Amino acid sequence: MTTASNLLTFLCLAITLLIVWRRSWPARLRLFAAQSLLLAILAGTIGVLAQRRGLFLVAAVVVVVKVWAIPRVLARIGSGAPVRPIAPGRSSGIALLVAGALVVAAYVVMLPVTAAAELPTGGAIPLAFAMALIGLALCVTGRDALSHILGFLVFENGIFGLAILATYGLPGIVEAGVFLDVLVIVLIMEAVVVQVRREHASIDVDRLRELRG
Amino acid sequence: MLLAVLAIPLVGAALLWRATNRLATTLHAVTAASTLAAGLAVAVMVNAGETLVAFDGLLRADALSAWMIALIGIVGGLAASEAPRYVVPGEPRRFYPLFHLFVFTMLLAVSTDDVGLMWVAVEGTTLASVFLVNFERTRASLEASYKYLLICSVGIAIAFLGTVLVYFAGIQQFGDETHALRYTTLLRLAPGLSPRVIELAFVFLVVGYGTKAGLAPMHTWLPDAHSEAPAPVSALMSGVLLSVGVYAIARFKPAVDAAAGPTFARGIMLTLGLLSIAVASAFLWTSPNYKRALAYSSVEHIGLVCLGLGFGGPVATAGALLHVANHALAKSAGFLMSGRIRAAYGSAEIGSVRGVMKHMPRTGAAFLTSILALVGLPPFGLFVSEVMIFAAGFKQGFPLVAGIALLLLVIAFAGLLRGVHHILYGAPAGEPVAEVAGWPSVVPVAAALGVLLLTGLAWPPGFGEALDRLAAIVSP
Repeated sequence: MTTASNLLTFLCLAITLLIVWRRSWPARLRLFAAQSLLLAILAGTIGVLAQRRGLFLVAAVVVVVKVWAIPRVLARIGSGAPVRPIAPGRSSGIALLVAGALVVAAYVVMLPVTAAAELPTGGAIPLAFAMALIGLALCVTGRDALSHILGFLVFENGIFGLAILATYGLPGIVEAGVFLDVLVIVLIMEAVVVQVRREHASIDVDRLRELRG
Repeated sequence: MLLAVLAIPLVGAALLWRATNRLATTLHAVTAASTLAAGLAVAVMVNAGETLVAFDGLLRADALSAWMIALIGIVGGLAASEAPRYVVPGEPRRFYPLFHLFVFTMLLAVSTDDVGLMWVAVEGTTLASVFLVNFERTRASLEASYKYLLICSVGIAIAFLGTVLVYFAGIQQFGDETHALRYTTLLRLAPGLSPRVIELAFVFLVVGYGTKAGLAPMHTWLPDAHSEAPAPVSALMSGVLLSVGVYAIARFKPAVDAAAGPTFARGIMLTLGLLSIAVASAFLWTSPNYKRALAYSSVEHIGLVCLGLGFGGPVATAGALLHVANHALAKSAGFLMSGRIRAAYGSAEIGSVRGVMKHMPRTGAAFLTSILALVGLPPFGLFVSEVMIFAAGFKQGFPLVAGIALLLLVIAFAGLLRGVHHILYGAPAGEPVAEVAGWPSVVPVAAALGVLLLTGLAWPPGFGEALDRLAAIVSP
């Protein structure tokens, strides 16, 4: 179980780094879907090995919501968005370096948690947290609405992974609420982005600069 | 009764989804009034010594919950009385249903025993209100709602991380505790929980729910959303939504204190509280827009509440909780009046509005009164709660923190009054604007300000004891 969870979480983290590295939107979207699929497999694997039936349901919902529904909506939002050229002075190299530093930071921050963890999956907790941190960084430093959403979703995936690894999943009502929230956020984002596009003829949120002071 | 208070706004919202015109306005009024009545009934029942429980303890209202429920009912009613001004006839645009859904999510957040469900409800408040912020569909309101959705979603996700860690600590220590996410369980188990994990969890919880509460430096969404939303929504957001964020932090604080000792949470709360007051007092001087100034004033007051909770002890905690209520009443009154001024003058810029006192004497007087209450002048309630917070701060050995905060408060005081003076008394320029409504329209706001006089001058019998019971929940 330890090996399986470590391997799967590590793959998720590697995909996160690829998302940081890649610049083309469809590629990043596919990477996000792949990451979500890996998380579903992680949930399913833990479900089998720890005999938690609830996790099968969770895995199924992940597949439906994050592997299927959300990438579809995001593709709809992103269709028409030009492949973003790398802005001068902002290369993927530096972003990857920052991501690497965040992985180290994740291990440091999660020390008390890994020290207290008794479940066999505990070792992978910092990996999931690193995923969350990198997603947060993507979200905060993103230059357009799509990067914001994608960063947020990676962040959310990281927290979801952490929750499964640390606790084998939260009570059903909370899990259900989480999925519903993520889905609704993406749908609202779509509505907002559609309006931004209509108003500004671009989804570059750099143009949202009216409110200051 | 607890079920009724939750069911009324939910059913109301569902019915309002289909209703139009006159029917919608009537239904809206009935829903708001019955939510208010049910909320007050809950408060009375709980104050009589009964803890209301439903669904096997999933829903639970103790004194602190009842305090918040009553507050949400009151501010909801106040905001609802003003809402019809903002709804264009024949074009409902889902304002009423979202309004009541928003109220419902806030009520749910404060009336559940389950911190997971509380998290879902707090997240729900964002989703329900994001379209309300963008109700006017201007470029600025669009930007505000985008920022609001993004920052609060990230914030609340961080709070989820904190919730996960709390749950993790619970089940690590005690195996499969079926109700490990109930705060009653949490509080019982707290002394045995791993202090380091709980500390880490609390950091995430404070950052997460603090985003929702508008604590600096996570407050950046707040001035935009508050100033761009229609006034009744601003009143709800500033009056009670921020307090719901504080409520969430206050719910976790006793468990953290029990697990990790009181100094840890105190340090964080005092730092964030002071920072919030500092940021607000600076921006109150530079803000060119009076609705934004009111929003920054909210950051200031939430910072004060945070300070009171950080000082801890019965007096400061009671002061902080009383301050939540006082601020809710004064700020919602202020926002509702600012909305009228904005509607009359067509601008929320301080520079382009002057002479309100001359053109709109009733609105102007109500606005001025609420501002005077907000800056903490006696005889209003905010003066009393601020005195409670600061007296306890000085007495419990934090003279430096309390002194700096007091100084910042004076700066904020002058900043807010400067702008308001310009609006109200500046020489009237351009065409005179006619006051649109008569005396009856000021009655709800006047009632709110009257309650503030009550909390400032003469506490009703039993009020002090009730406050002590509240404080004992947060600071046992």
